[in-house]
Amino acid sequence: MKIMKPIHLLIIIVLLISNFQESKAQDTESISGLFPGISFVRFAQQIESMSSYRFFFSKAELENFQVNISAKDNSIQQILNAVFDQTEYRYSIDGQKQIFITKYNALDLRLPEYFFNTNDKVGENDSLQRQNDIERAYSRNKLYVIGDPGPQKEASLKGKITGLETGDPVYGAVVFEKAEYRRAITNEEGFFDIRLPVGRHTLFIQNLGGFVEQRQISILGDGILDVAIEENIISLSEVTVSSDRMTNIARPEMGVQKLDIADMRRIPAILGEVDVIRSILTLPGVQTVGEASVGFNVRGGAADQNLILFNHATIYNPSHLFGLFSAFNPDVVESVELYKAGIPVQYGGRLSSVLDVNAKYGNSEKVKVSGGIGLLTGRLTVEGPIGEKTTFLVAGRSTYSDWLLNLLEENTDFQNGRAAFYDLNLNLSHQLNNKNIIRFNTYTSNDNFRFDRDTTFRYENLNFNLGWTHYFNEKFEAELVLGRDQYSFGIEGRDNAANAYDFGFNIQQDFIKANFKYELDFRHSLNFGVHTISYQLQPGFIRPSGLESIVVPEKVNQEQARETSIYIGDNFEINDQLSVSYGGRYVLYQFLGPNNSRTYASGQPIAAPNLVREQSFGPGEVIQNHHGPEFRISGRYILNNISSIKAGYNTGRQFIHLITNNAAIAPTDIWKLSDNNIRPQWGDQISLGYYRNLKVNKYELSIETYHRSLSNLLDFRSGSTLILNSTVEQALVRSEGRTYGAEILLRKNVGKLNGWLSYTYSRSLLRTAKDELAEKINGGDWYPNNFDQPHNAVLVGNYEWSKRFSTSLNANYSTGRPITLPVAKFNYGGSERVFFSDRNAYRIPDYFRIDLSVNIEGNHKVRKLAHSSWSLGVYNLLGRRNPYSVFFTPVNGVLEGYQLSIFAQPIPFITYNFKI
Amino acid sequence: MPNRQAYIYSLILSMLLISCKDPFEPELGDMPTEILVVEGYVELEGESIIKLSKTSPIQSENTGNLVLSAFVALSDAGNNRWEFEEKGDGLYSLEGNFPENSEYYLHIQLPNGETYISEAMKPVISPEIDVLDYIRDEEGVEIFISTKGTETSQYFLWTFEENWVFRPGVISNLIYDNGSIRRRTEEERIDRCWQKNINPFIVLQNAARFEDNTILQRELVRIPNFSEKLTQRYRIQVKQMALDQAAFDFWDILRRNSEDIGGIFSPLPSLITGNIQALSEGMPPAIGHISMGKTSTKEIYIDLNDVFPWPVFIQEYEFCNIFNDTIPPNPATITSTFASGNLIPARDIFNQMGALLGYRAAEQACTDCRLRGSNVRPEFWED
Repeated sequence: MKIMKPIHLLIIIVLLISNFQESKAQDTESISGLFPGISFVRFAQQIESMSSYRFFFSKAELENFQVNISAKDNSIQQILNAVFDQTEYRYSIDGQKQIFITKYNALDLRLPEYFFNTNDKVGENDSLQRQNDIERAYSRNKLYVIGDPGPQKEASLKGKITGLETGDPVYGAVVFEKAEYRRAITNEEGFFDIRLPVGRHTLFIQNLGGFVEQRQISILGDGILDVAIEENIISLSEVTVSSDRMTNIARPEMGVQKLDIADMRRIPAILGEVDVIRSILTLPGVQTVGEASVGFNVRGGAADQNLILFNHATIYNPSHLFGLFSAFNPDVVESVELYKAGIPVQYGGRLSSVLDVNAKYGNSEKVKVSGGIGLLTGRLTVEGPIGEKTTFLVAGRSTYSDWLLNLLEENTDFQNGRAAFYDLNLNLSHQLNNKNIIRFNTYTSNDNFRFDRDTTFRYENLNFNLGWTHYFNEKFEAELVLGRDQYSFGIEGRDNAANAYDFGFNIQQDFIKANFKYELDFRHSLNFGVHTISYQLQPGFIRPSGLESIVVPEKVNQEQARETSIYIGDNFEINDQLSVSYGGRYVLYQFLGPNNSRTYASGQPIAAPNLVREQSFGPGEVIQNHHGPEFRISGRYILNNISSIKAGYNTGRQFIHLITNNAAIAPTDIWKLSDNNIRPQWGDQISLGYYRNLKVNKYELSIETYHRSLSNLLDFRSGSTLILNSTVEQALVRSEGRTYGAEILLRKNVGKLNGWLSYTYSRSLLRTAKDELAEKINGGDWYPNNFDQPHNAVLVGNYEWSKRFSTSLNANYSTGRPITLPVAKFNYGGSERVFFSDRNAYRIPDYFRIDLSVNIEGNHKVRKLAHSSWSLGVYNLLGRRNPYSVFFTPVNGVLEGYQLSIFAQPIPFITYNFKI
Repeated sequence: MPNRQAYIYSLILSMLLISCKDPFEPELGDMPTEILVVEGYVELEGESIIKLSKTSPIQSENTGNLVLSAFVALSDAGNNRWEFEEKGDGLYSLEGNFPENSEYYLHIQLPNGETYISEAMKPVISPEIDVLDYIRDEEGVEIFISTKGTETSQYFLWTFEENWVFRPGVISNLIYDNGSIRRRTEEERIDRCWQKNINPFIVLQNAARFEDNTILQRELVRIPNFSEKLTQRYRIQVKQMALDQAAFDFWDILRRNSEDIGGIFSPLPSLITGNIQALSEGMPPAIGHISMGKTSTKEIYIDLNDVFPWPVFIQEYEFCNIFNDTIPPNPATITSTFASGNLIPARDIFNQMGALLGYRAAEQACTDCRLRGSNVRPEFWED
């Protein structure tokens, strides 16, 4: 059972008309025209402009539906039959040439058979059908006397239609009086106003797809009648998924996965929280190197090659507790889009993927509160309007059990782990007028985590930005955003007072971007803009902590850079079948002072002995420029209504690099900006996909293959130290990468049993660059990257036993990640040395996990203070000890290997969620 | 019952947060855990020593896996061949004079028949060490080296041997000898010992980055304040080798290979090979890089007077003292006190008349410097 969403999102505007006709018996009006792969909305506008037909449909539902048809003196029925063939959409046309588009069932424009029967009989049938809902049956048959008697012959009846369960206003419900054929439709706030002759009437209230509600009234004068009607809940969850289904075949980009919050709710999540990152990990081509590791890997790309945006803010660490939770509060997230290929032209600076997380801006109707309480965390969201034009959303989430841990520490053995985090969101949206909207986003997340008593890890994201959207006209809109993103990381070592230290690094980027969308004509829609980012990176520092500490403070020079890109892209619908999206970017990157640049003898490896000179630069001076073009092209060819093929090619550049040392107990990261020694990473990707819907769109199948070439990747040199290395270029080897693979996704969206099965074959290989002189890792041959996991299979299954009760199962398998093992030891040069295997020659054990969860929705029938749901289940049902890290450490002079598993047992969880 | 609730929470939380650390013993598959290790240097003039050993499994406690009864030989580009002589302890020695302008190969055949051959070795002649000297500063003594490379010898490796005299916590010149106590002879002295430290770490330098290939005052060793090394007299002998670049890279990686792995600030894994290949199919190359050439050596002595004042602190002797009890000089008591060797007579006590009253004892650990060094003066030692 899904959490209820405001019903008005789905309701179709329905006009019930006075003469009842079969939908297809119309006097015909012939229509001609070419409608080449345009959106349905535009198609409808065009039809309306050339005929007297009027369309009524849900924009949200048909937003992504595309029309590809050419007509020559065809009837509207012929056109619509062709358009909606093999889709779940149905239409009906009434006598006034009003066309209603609905899902699954055509809108029945006839009144029910019992319509002309006596009121008594209707009431009787009704109450028989719904004996167990006596109260409602009573309402239906009760005679409501409205108004005070007066001289007038007609009276005005006003009221509000709300959802029985949600209490949300119902938009587009029809209020109909049969004897006089009077009707009214509720507005967006659910209000209706109908004029009726004084006397007794039966009012029918119908909400599309829902039940017909009725009221017996005796109207004496002007009055008010509020009615609560039942909403159709099933269609709620179906709609969201279906809209994706059409886009799968029709949208021109490829490698795009869209999940909205309803999809994510189906995946059993740890501790009962809907989780963005864990949800996308169930998609093909998205992997993680292990439990609780920061970030994710897309198509064999590194974790730093993902651009993670949260309402324009770049999130450097999208995880809480090293990946146990994702850093996005589920109550704030509206939807998530992941671009694995075909990255839109407005995004750049990362090679692998773009994860665009869209947050909400608050309900414009009324103040709402939602939240949840789990074993470890609690969260609360308040959203609503401030005045007429402003909405707000405030959300917070935190571990609340710190006091408990403190208490327990004294009298139990609990002294090893400690975890605390919180995140906060504040989003504001203000509509200045019809043409201007201002939006403000702030986000922060903070983490504290330790494996043992001595070492605490902490990190923090802090982001805020201000956006201004301006509509020049219907075809031209602009968005200007400026903001700041910060990420800081620290380790507090408190092993003993003498060497207590604080280690840390931080990244700050200020950005300004202007993005323009212009619909040139029916075939072209343009997207262009400018984006500038100013980076400030503090790569690392260490400080003594406490008076007794003898740690020597050290600091690596701060780095500055500026990255400016201009871009233009065009979405070109060539004909019905073929659509192409293409564009280009040009990026200028400048590494700036104050800093020292080191120059090494050319033709010699970058190493201390070959340092030729060190030059110091003042603030703002350009130390090094890097620039170049990037290309994006992807095309779609629709084979028929149920299948399409797509292909794409894109290139990219990346100027900020992450080097992870995962040989330690907790993987430790180093960020580095490109400079005169470290070149920007460059990558391209070619991909091909086939998409097909099976069994009348019941199943959705997609197969994508890709190949990526990467250059100027970084791997570490033998025995190097990355942390606090002020000449880190001497610790790195320039490498080239190659990744390739295939992704298969079979998805069933409808029915009681739904879910998906995905399989990914993916290789990610590295090779020391041919012209790298410092060191040839593994003899200059290809070797697996740290996150090369060839096989990955995910099953997400959801079974809805009833509207209120559902169970979900998630099974996840992947090959263990590669590792470099110390295999032997020997004496040399007077000391004991370790002999390591070839780089990444071995693998840690395979990963396998099954999670089970049960979702129980609160009672829908009774109006309550809060709408609630329970989520309970077990994470890692089999209790398999999947390793989080593998490391070697000397114990009594002998190197011992350990694997650390974080979730080594089945973890039961229970969470209570509510919505007011 | 809040306590009970707290307990349940704690149970769940501890399941969640107390991570589980299991031993990790990977299956190494075909990976041989015994790989030949070859260490040494072939001198153009004088004695060359090659040491053969094998790696031991990472989790074993011994590392001295020496290879005995192997056959080691040197050949040149022509058909000349010189055999090494086994010296025991995995050491193989060769004396001879070899022309500088030739290429050489090292051959190794193990008792089990495995054979190895080095890549061509081109001798590199090391220039003489220019200066070996020291500076006294606030933190102690720094010993440095200066040398001048040439176009053909730019990469330098220094190994060194330190020797020094130290004294125990309690000075005794008495010895228990078969039920009685007498003065120690010169050979029996336990109040002055020599300690040594060979090749404690590798010092490398590339001269090419400096003007005229001149390396000035490269720090070799630092002796911190309070070190026992300067108790009386200290000697350092430095051997300078000029290497080719491949050898230099090998040593550079080796230098960064340490057992300090797995920590946040630890160096990352390093791959070590060398210049010795297996001739047998499918065998991994041996570990080690053998260079050839002519080394130069230099030594200096530093006396306490050179650095005076030099307070010494030796942890082992921190709590040393002479016990107050006087042990009467009768044979029975002496035997029961000193025969076991745990106590050593430190002082003899006389009355004013000069008659022996007895002995005062001290612990062996405080008195006998041989427990930490050797009381035999090294042959080379100069006073």
